Amino acid sequence: MKENKKALRVLAAVCVLFLSLIGYLTYFEVFLKESVVANPYNKRHWEYTNDKLRGSIYDRDGELLAYSEGKGAQQVRIYPYEGLYSHVIGYYSIIYGNSFLESAYQKELSGNTPLGNVTDIKNKLTGQDSYGYNLQLTIDHTLQKKAYELLKGRNGAIVAINPSTGEILAMADNPVFDTNESDLVENWSSLLESDDSPFLSRSIQGLYAPGSTYKIITAAAAIENGYEDYSFEDKGSVIIDGMTIKNFGSKSYGFLDISKAFALSSNTYFASLGVSLGERALKASAENFGLNKKLPFEISVTQSTFPYKNMSQTELAAAAIGQGQILATPLQMGMVASTIANGGIMMEPHLVKRITDINKNTLYSSSAKAFQTAISPETAEKISAMMVDAVESGTGKNAKISGISTAGKTGTAQNEKSGTDGGSEHAWFVGFAPADEPEIAVAVILEYDGSTGGSSAAPIAKSLMEFWLK
Amino acid sequence: MDSIYNVYKPFRMVMFFNVLAFTLMFLHEDKKDFITLAWGIGIILLIFGVYVLIKWRHWGDEYLFLISSMLVSIGLMMIYRLDPDIGKRQIVWFAGGASLFLLSYLIFNLMPMWNSKKLYYIYPAASFLLFTLTLAYGRRIGGAINWLSIAGINIQPLEVIKLLFIFFTASYYKHRESLKALSLKIKGNDFRIKSIYIYGVLSYIHMGFLVLQREWGGALLFFLIYFTLLYIFESNLKFMLANVFFAGAGSLGGILFLSHIQTRIDIWLNPWADISGKGYQITQSLFAIGSGGFFGTGIGLGSPELIPEVHTDFIFSAICEEMGIFGGTGVILLYLLLVYRGIKISLKINDIFYKALALGISIMIGFQTFIIIGGVVKMIPLTGITLPFISYGGSSLISSFIALGILQAISSGKSIQMEETHEGE
Repeated sequence: MKENKKALRVLAAVCVLFLSLIGYLTYFEVFLKESVVANPYNKRHWEYTNDKLRGSIYDRDGELLAYSEGKGAQQVRIYPYEGLYSHVIGYYSIIYGNSFLESAYQKELSGNTPLGNVTDIKNKLTGQDSYGYNLQLTIDHTLQKKAYELLKGRNGAIVAINPSTGEILAMADNPVFDTNESDLVENWSSLLESDDSPFLSRSIQGLYAPGSTYKIITAAAAIENGYEDYSFEDKGSVIIDGMTIKNFGSKSYGFLDISKAFALSSNTYFASLGVSLGERALKASAENFGLNKKLPFEISVTQSTFPYKNMSQTELAAAAIGQGQILATPLQMGMVASTIANGGIMMEPHLVKRITDINKNTLYSSSAKAFQTAISPETAEKISAMMVDAVESGTGKNAKISGISTAGKTGTAQNEKSGTDGGSEHAWFVGFAPADEPEIAVAVILEYDGSTGGSSAAPIAKSLMEFWLK
Repeated sequence: MDSIYNVYKPFRMVMFFNVLAFTLMFLHEDKKDFITLAWGIGIILLIFGVYVLIKWRHWGDEYLFLISSMLVSIGLMMIYRLDPDIGKRQIVWFAGGASLFLLSYLIFNLMPMWNSKKLYYIYPAASFLLFTLTLAYGRRIGGAINWLSIAGINIQPLEVIKLLFIFFTASYYKHRESLKALSLKIKGNDFRIKSIYIYGVLSYIHMGFLVLQREWGGALLFFLIYFTLLYIFESNLKFMLANVFFAGAGSLGGILFLSHIQTRIDIWLNPWADISGKGYQITQSLFAIGSGGFFGTGIGLGSPELIPEVHTDFIFSAICEEMGIFGGTGVILLYLLLVYRGIKISLKINDIFYKALALGISIMIGFQTFIIIGGVVKMIPLTGITLPFISYGGSSLISSFIALGILQAISSGKSIQMEETHEGE
């Protein structure tokens, strides 16, 4: 019958329509879903969060740094140390969202992971409460507190790293702000308007001219490119292609080899060394130490830059002494010191040591991973010796720890605010101790401080390393 | 009774699903409420009772009711999980629907006057009356005027009109040979308007009313039913092409000149442009489907309540969120089975009226499902229409079950036999 034949065709058409629905659903699931679900208008991000009690955050020894109280949507995030971790843990707020680790580990802290959802079903059936996962940081709370106290209210940052593992031991900034919700509500507008940029995590988002601390990288370039024996008569200033480069205080040091020039932080020596080394060697060295590269880190680090192309002689000279357009974060410079301490291998920096569930079962445990090899172990050893000299007899004397051999490099970096007569340079110190078997590497910066790195930053680094080692 | 337990697995699956669903609902509640289990037992007994009746009395196709019960069960669990109070109301509607399913089966078989030629003009007349009443006294909910309040009860006349329209169509194909052409005398010239044109115009008037009510989904559904049956039963190719042309011109005009349709299409093409406004519903639906993944978050663990109108038009998104794409695919395949059973029933029938009726009901369920599911997954522009058997709502559930009862009656073959004996006397 004709009608039946046509009816079967209609059935086939309905089949095609329905199968196309299934096909489209699958296509949506495989290709479109990811970007759709991530849309900030998807309120599920908050829903999942509210479901369970948010996980706590501990320091490496189990000190409680952040926790939640209450139930469901009523829970409140509590930061017992107020602003001390405002740029590490960040804040978690229904009103303002979340930042830093609270944001980077949102899934884990809220328990919204595939495994978390499975245990959640079990808990729902058995009537138990569900919890997010806990984070244990590599940070040592006492060291973090010490670092913050050492800044004494001055704007700046301190980063302390375990050189052999890449664990961040302390990452302190100033200014900070209280991250508890009620304080956020009270201070939000003034924080937004403040000229001190309190939301900026100076350690990882602040870009500064590294100044003389950059001579570590220039020296490494020299040793690795056969300029180890470069010598130069320091007359206190040198004119390169019409630009005058002076030593700090215009002191002249006479004939210098690389080690002496490093300890005394001679600008004239390193500027002319930079011109001799040339663009390719300087740039390669910068990149071997992680500039121009995205650092692997749990929270997003601003990239440190060596932005040159087709460098003129004056640019080469300025770059070699860490001025000009080179910009680095304190974390980056801490990692440079850490790399020297670790025999030339740059370890991946990390903040999270372990993720555990409510019953203390470990779900994730960090391990030491190499990021890249910056220099050979021999070069690292030579630079380490030069850094020890700089502390023993050079510009870094204030970092000397009695009984422990210490390596370091000072920096007094000119910047956009410093006029011709100075007054607002960044004071830098990077170093590590003990020099022969390093346990801690640090980077200290006091921004726009106007003092020299040797006079203000070095003593801070010393106190911090001494505190850690004793 | 043994055979029911041992042989018919689909039946056991429906039972098993309901046992699991209501146990889960019970455990999911913070305050363990035994009423939930009681409602669950009620549903199981209801499905069991109706199924046994169909089996025992040999009331035709035994799968129609099973498939639709499964769909109702899935919908019920979702609705109950979203709001137990609404879920309980839906269970009551289901009980009403099942009763009307049996009742319409009996009435349809016992009173074989539905194919009477006298009713041919009564069906559209009743439809137009309902349409007029809706336009005059109806309430506008969500852009469309589609609710009528009668004695405090809100009904959706469209759900009744759908059935009237299918009866009207079936009746046309049954009687088209004997229907008189309309003679008109204009300025001395005789015009004879063939019956097929009258049928066509009356059908388009249905769609015209729906456009006036801004029921775009309804208008599309009517056109698809109208055109599919035309394709099956009409061999006049010219007339069919004229219809394609007419419908094409109509929808093009709609797209060009009706701002409401333009808005729908804009939202469909880019709902993200106005995510907090006009695109809100569809984007919330996509969030839900995406959050579910292939296997879903699990019943009670998703957040489908964030979608507006999740009980009715967007129930499929909720199913996808909590039961995953696989769950959603399962639902689609259940509808496909239902359409398949319906068309299969129609193939065996020679009587044009019953054949067209069975086909009309089957494709109505199929197209309606496609229009709403395609809409909520953003495959086609979204038009508000209910998902048969699953969406919350008395009108939708009851009319779906009446349609199913009629299909069941046709499958039993009893009315057709009676018809024959009736004529033979």
